[in-house]
Amino acid sequence: MKYIAKKCGVRFQPPAMILIYENEAEGKSRQRIMPVRNFSKFSDCTRAAEQLKNNPRHKSYLEQVSLKQLEKLFVFLRGSLQGQSLAETMEQIQRETTIDPEEDLNKLDDKELAKRKSIMDELFEKNQKRKDDPSFVYDVEVEFPQDEQLQSCSWDTASVDEF
Amino acid sequence: MKTVTVTEGFHYGDKTPRLTLVHGHELMAGDRSKQGELDQEKYDAHENVKIICLGDSAVGKSKLMERFLMDGFQPQQLSTYALTLYKHTATVDGKTILVDFWDTAGQERFQSMHASYYHKAHACIMVFDVQRKITYKNLGTWYAELREFRPEIPCILVANKIDADIQMTQKNFSFAKKFSLPLYFVSAADGTNVVKLFNDAIRLAVAYKKSSQDFMDEVLQELENFKLEQKEEDTPDQEQGDMSKSPSPS
Repeated sequence: MKYIAKKCGVRFQPPAMILIYENEAEGKSRQRIMPVRNFSKFSDCTRAAEQLKNNPRHKSYLEQVSLKQLEKLFVFLRGSLQGQSLAETMEQIQRETTIDPEEDLNKLDDKELAKRKSIMDELFEKNQKRKDDPSFVYDVEVEFPQDEQLQSCSWDTASVDEF
Repeated sequence: MKTVTVTEGFHYGDKTPRLTLVHGHELMAGDRSKQGELDQEKYDAHENVKIICLGDSAVGKSKLMERFLMDGFQPQQLSTYALTLYKHTATVDGKTILVDFWDTAGQERFQSMHASYYHKAHACIMVFDVQRKITYKNLGTWYAELREFRPEIPCILVANKIDADIQMTQKNFSFAKKFSLPLYFVSAADGTNVVKLFNDAIRLAVAYKKSSQDFMDEVLQELENFKLEQKEEDTPDQEQGDMSKSPSPS
């Protein structure tokens, strides 16, 4: 039996993930409530998301819901348990899912570096052309003319003594 | 794209890179006793070149290697030297060239590489991330260290991740101009200019090695001539010459 996920959201009280889905055969909208237990304001959201997605009772319904999305919903739930407002949690998620172009990753420890790489990998994988793709071309050449009329990069407006 | 001036006649017969094990007895998979050993002397042989990668963490150095090597992507981690070694075979001007690409294995976190990383390198690929200004600002540190150990090898500047911000290809980067480095806009994700980057680096490495080898040959010849002159001066009145000669250096 195939389920088509339509929407997935979080209910704060009592804690649950809620999935709006369609049964492929019937085409009717249905709601599935998946209670969240043993989850506190100190819990690991990644692990909680993995456990829910792999739960035998929920697995087939959540097939089309990405682990990343579930993890985000758990972050919202945890934020709520910590007394954070929705806006505060969204701000936190934004901060944790973008890269500061001025942050020197050479100075981070292994764990923090891995976090940043994982964020960059998301865009990489989204844009990646794989060998299996039917439109894949091995040698892609594009000319980018470098002449004096190009605008200077703003990165070079800093001190001329920097290099 | 800035045109790189290289001796004409270079071509690549086989567009698909393939992995060839260099000298079967070296670094054989499963031969753990050899894992920690690196033969740096082989880079003196005509058909071997060493190309090093430099740049900050997470600029995409390994992703570029993977995109170029494709099925041949079989990195060898050598923890003794904190580096990753990639072997590749290319054809340049009808000759088979055995290429060792050296990549860091996290050592760039300290923004300094061990001297052996630079030893006998024939070309450098220096990478920054067009989405992260700091990786461009740190190029100066990398370049200074490179020139300390290898003052003259060709260095290609690489702006990676242009798929994430294509507008950056419309910019001038003064670092490239200041040091007269060829600048390549590339994307490891969609493959733009990756193959050209590596093939050009190989050609530059071969050309550099050829020119520096010619110089070394000249130096050795001069030394040989000098020895001969010395011998003649030492025995000007000898009727019968000493027929034995010291062997020529190989």
